[in-house]
Amino acid sequence: MSDAALPRAATSRAPVGEALAGLMLTLPAGIAYLVLLLLPTLAAVTLAFTDYELGMPALNWIGLDNFREMLSDRGFAIALRNTVIYVGTVTPLSIGLGLGAALLIEAGTRGRAFFRAVFFLPVVSLTVAMAAAWQYLLHPTIGPLNALLRQVGVTDPPFWLSSSDTVLLSLAAIGVWESLGYNMVLFLAGLSAIPRELYAAAEVDGARSAFDRFRLVTWPLLGPTTLFVVTITLIRSVRVFDTVAVLTQGGPNKASEVLLYTMYREGFTYLRLGYSAAITLVFLAIVLALVWLQTKAMDRKIHYG
Amino acid sequence: MIRTTRRAALAFGASALALPRLALAQQAEITVHYAQPQVYKDSYDAIAAAFAQREPGIRVNFITSPNYEEGTQLVLRQAATGQLPDLSYQGFNRLRVFAERGIAQDLTPMLARDGDPAARGYTPNLLALAHFGGFQSGIAYAASNPISYYNVELLRRVGAPSDPAAFPKTWDEVIALSARIRALGDGVEGMWFQWPGDDWMFSALLFSAGGRMLTEDERDVGFAGPEGLAALRLLQRMVREGGMPNLNATSALQAFAAGKLGMRFGSTAFLRNMITSVGRNFEMQTTLLPVIDPVNGKLPTGGAAGMLTARDAAKREAAFKFLLFSTSPEGTSMMAKNTGYVPVNQIAIDDPQYLGEFYRENPLFRAATLQVDRMIPWYAFPGTNSVRVTQVMVDNMARVVEGRAAPEQVLPEMAAEVRRLLPRRS
Repeated sequence: MSDAALPRAATSRAPVGEALAGLMLTLPAGIAYLVLLLLPTLAAVTLAFTDYELGMPALNWIGLDNFREMLSDRGFAIALRNTVIYVGTVTPLSIGLGLGAALLIEAGTRGRAFFRAVFFLPVVSLTVAMAAAWQYLLHPTIGPLNALLRQVGVTDPPFWLSSSDTVLLSLAAIGVWESLGYNMVLFLAGLSAIPRELYAAAEVDGARSAFDRFRLVTWPLLGPTTLFVVTITLIRSVRVFDTVAVLTQGGPNKASEVLLYTMYREGFTYLRLGYSAAITLVFLAIVLALVWLQTKAMDRKIHYG
Repeated sequence: MIRTTRRAALAFGASALALPRLALAQQAEITVHYAQPQVYKDSYDAIAAAFAQREPGIRVNFITSPNYEEGTQLVLRQAATGQLPDLSYQGFNRLRVFAERGIAQDLTPMLARDGDPAARGYTPNLLALAHFGGFQSGIAYAASNPISYYNVELLRRVGAPSDPAAFPKTWDEVIALSARIRALGDGVEGMWFQWPGDDWMFSALLFSAGGRMLTEDERDVGFAGPEGLAALRLLQRMVREGGMPNLNATSALQAFAAGKLGMRFGSTAFLRNMITSVGRNFEMQTTLLPVIDPVNGKLPTGGAAGMLTARDAAKREAAFKFLLFSTSPEGTSMMAKNTGYVPVNQIAIDDPQYLGEFYRENPLFRAATLQVDRMIPWYAFPGTNSVRVTQVMVDNMARVVEGRAAPEQVLPEMAAEVRRLLPRRS
């Protein structure tokens, strides 16, 4: 899009051969985009309006029936609600704690590399493998967490992942643990870009307390970083799947059923690819809406330092 | 998980490319698919080695899927792209999906060619295990049934006899024993019944009360009566009176292996895994599963059956030979020794020359074989919601286990939900 800024004459004078060469050079990427991204997406959109089932010889065009079914599907409604609760818990917590950790590390004098590594570790570890570790930590009878709780006098510690009261909470805690480090690193990068002089200037102007300096300098200047972190965390947490698939399979009684897991189960366990594609479309719409809202609503209020 | 299937698909494509050359060498080459290599690999390898000696003209290539579910997906995908294997071993309750989609072939004519199948060990009962969609859609390869596992040391500590023969025969006694074990404290739990996962263990309770999933004509639910209520009430009592903790399958296995769970009720298919994970921590024993109705009570059969999918006549013959060998007295003995499953050929079951010595040396494997008479097919629901129905049952059992609703309330609601998922008929 940047070529719009170029003088008109320059583009029109460019030889045809050069344009062709440019086209040829973008062709591999273009084909990859078409074959790997655009066509599958279009296929999913088409499937969403059919009753296609894996292995069935024929499919029928059923219009909006899949979406109509979704409205009356208890499982889908629960999955949507659970996803909203999950995102609503994980996003603010992991951003708040990530920012807190970044500020503490930035302000600290010793062991900065160590703490950075410790908080970043979950990001580089494999979720599925870590889920197994969480399974053990949160084990109701032989897990260390409940052993600790019993030590301090809790007689009936919660059953975490296998009780419908606590399962979503437990998954959200794992989600926070997973994305905290990522957010922290992004905030650290944002913090290091803030010029030191501004703090000195603020102090001269009467911002005595650390909180004032945070409110007047750090927070506004972190604006672009925060916007990015909020968007990326929202999208990452809407996508929650691995921990659910490994730890709870949506149970008990759909208490941890989330959008992507429902999509997977409808498509690959129940083999109803048409319905699954319809759920995918809803998911796609949610993600696009999130991105659009973020940029629209927040772009104007951000100070680009 | 995706990687394995993809690799399998690639391997399949590669072997398809190599086919024309091998055909020149006057050899039949077949592709055989099975799921759960961690459970079955040793058994298939042993059978393939013996088969290679008997039929040197047939080359067998294996492709695998990590579990039954992905195995079903793989073969359905390949059916859509015309790359089916020649023979595929699928979980019993998935066979109906293939039968109703026209992928599995009817084996009756091929079985009848060499005379009465029963004379070769394929008795009507055993054939019924893989009779889905209205025809003989497969032949059973491995069968399992639910059994009782228990921790001998925990039973001794509460003064209960440790001998399998003296283990409780009724659920009343089991529940009372569970409460006593739980009273030991220190995080020790009494019992766990493997209700999550699928409908299999619910059908274990239901069938053992003499009930059935659907009516004979498959038009309406059959579990909404007294048998279904007895099953759900029993589940409730396990929690309320027996103190059964609300664990998922993995947590329960871990608790049992750590010596913190007295009794575990689940499939014999896990036996090898259980023996490995218990190790030398404590002495484990296995025995029959208590049944609600000792006279008419039945138990569901888990496991896998081979279904013929080859379209080419020569390959179909070769694949059928392998299927027959893998389920012959010799083949099924190799299967039983290398897994925890029950043999599925009547000759191997009756004639001690095949497995007599093995069961003498490995008494833990005997529990499942002692209740073979009770085994009936794992019920697979008709129509496109076949697999979905099973989740409805698990979700409703969760309501009972968590004490959210009484069995009297859950049963009619569960029946209504299942009814909605049955195929509509005019």
